[in-house]
Amino acid sequence: MVDVEIKRDRIVIRWREKKWDWMIEPRYWRNTMYWTLALILFPVFAYFLSPGLVNTMVSANIYAAIAIPLSLMTVGTGRINFGPNFYIGVGGYVAALLSIHLGMSPWLTLPLAVLMSAFCALVFSPLVIMAKGLYYVLLTLLLPLLFLEVTFIWTGIFKGDVGLFGIELLFDLGGAKLNFIAAAYVSAAIMLLFLLIANKVLKSRYGLIMAAINDDEEVAHGIGVNINLVKILTFIGASAMIGVMGWFMAHYFGTFSGITYLPLTYMLKILLVFMVGGRAQIFGCVAGGYFVAFLEEFLIRVMGDFQPVAFPIILLILLFVLPRGEGLFGLYRRRHYREYMPQIHVRR
Amino acid sequence: MSEILTCTNITKRFGGLVAIDDVSFSIKKGETLGFIGPNGAGKSTMVNVMGGYLKADAGKIILDDVDITKMPPHKRVHEGIARTYQIPRPFPELTALMSVDVASICGKNRKNQSFEDAAGDATHYLEFVGLFSKRNIIAKDLTFFELRMLELARALATTPKVLFIDEVMAGLNPGEASTAVKMVLKAKEQFDLTIFWIEHVMAVLVEAADRIVVIQYGQKIAEGTPDEVVNNDTVVEAYLGKGWRNYA
Repeated sequence: MVDVEIKRDRIVIRWREKKWDWMIEPRYWRNTMYWTLALILFPVFAYFLSPGLVNTMVSANIYAAIAIPLSLMTVGTGRINFGPNFYIGVGGYVAALLSIHLGMSPWLTLPLAVLMSAFCALVFSPLVIMAKGLYYVLLTLLLPLLFLEVTFIWTGIFKGDVGLFGIELLFDLGGAKLNFIAAAYVSAAIMLLFLLIANKVLKSRYGLIMAAINDDEEVAHGIGVNINLVKILTFIGASAMIGVMGWFMAHYFGTFSGITYLPLTYMLKILLVFMVGGRAQIFGCVAGGYFVAFLEEFLIRVMGDFQPVAFPIILLILLFVLPRGEGLFGLYRRRHYREYMPQIHVRR
Repeated sequence: MSEILTCTNITKRFGGLVAIDDVSFSIKKGETLGFIGPNGAGKSTMVNVMGGYLKADAGKIILDDVDITKMPPHKRVHEGIARTYQIPRPFPELTALMSVDVASICGKNRKNQSFEDAAGDATHYLEFVGLFSKRNIIAKDLTFFELRMLELARALATTPKVLFIDEVMAGLNPGEASTAVKMVLKAKEQFDLTIFWIEHVMAVLVEAADRIVVIQYGQKIAEGTPDEVVNNDTVVEAYLGKGWRNYA
């Protein structure tokens, strides 16, 4: 039924009337390999130098893996979602509750967490059609805060005050350090997978349609794009991807509490990763994630209590100082004029 | 000639204001229908109703035996309607080629069209409107005239049956305007289009249109060949006011 044909420079996949081309260009793989190698070697070095850095790397990967779907969502819906952490909460709580009460293993909770995040996204997806501009910002901002309230109100179920604990760990290799290293590799793998998916989507025909929607929704509708379908699909897909990170965090830490992920501070961190890295550029999200996580770690070591104040100020300054509004990624790579650089629309 | 697009008793109200009041007309296949009226007569509202951006309060629109009255804009595009905008609305961050590419991919249900196929298609339309050398320029860096042409290319790439043109002359200097008008007529000939042409400037339509419909305050006041319409007293009155004879 599915017909796969391997040609010199591409893999062609045919299914019914549809056709997908997957270009393979080994000469473009050099940089990818270098960076992936750096990701693989980093935990090994950090293990011998300063094991705490492995933990920082995990949070960097988590930030990046949340920011990547968020950029996808921002481009595909033409709006910026201010509550991505809502889906972290959904994924995390589903995983945590199922694991604690039903004793499910992490591999069983994963599909359910993803399904539940996707279902919640489906329930709230009318927002991307009906709400525009500041209304969308406010409504999406409200969702995680409402969920936070819910965790306090039904504290018997969600344990909003103390957090859920006793969640089955994703892996237990016997030592804390070994577990950190394993988590670093798993989180990096998830992050790279998300990067691959997002890159593939953005470079496809669907990605071009998403860019058109981000640029001008009404005109896109007027040249035959089914904008509602594209927006809803993107919203649901990206939300499910964010939900995976909730699942990962629940099973990695063994505890999950809404108060860590649902408040504004966490949301702000994700949005800063997304902006400082490179304005909804997926590779920028990785740069941003690593930068933010390591800056946070560094400031905690240097400044101690003053860190929560200094951290956002530094990031906000960076937002203005970095060239052409392209963030850290713009420093590394001078963008070609023709490449698509999404504009972020908060107001229309 | 058979009728390709028929509008029957279209009415559109904005609150208490009746923007379009019971307007009926039809466009024959292969014809250029001019649609004129003074400022605020409801011309653009009519296009928006026909394009699906606004819902008609009453009436029926039939395109080639398909009732499109309740269809959303993208489905109407698939049925064969395309439009340009009065003020060009490009995709500001996409290159000229990519903007037309989107239209080529989405304009009809083309399941198998790859990126490369679409780019080849788009190149053809860009070449047609004379923007081939600007294909890799990001749309926000194009001039006003080039944006107009880009819009035309984008509309043509959806392979329409009926093309709505909303004031092609607005904001262009005389030289550019005549090029634009020629381009539209050339497109009509080459792509076998039917054109529904809204214009503020009467002179263009008298030259180009086969038939003209005139509306004022949302009501159709005249319909006929350009000569008939130009010599129609009601039309002249609508444009110049009731006392125009005193000054003629």
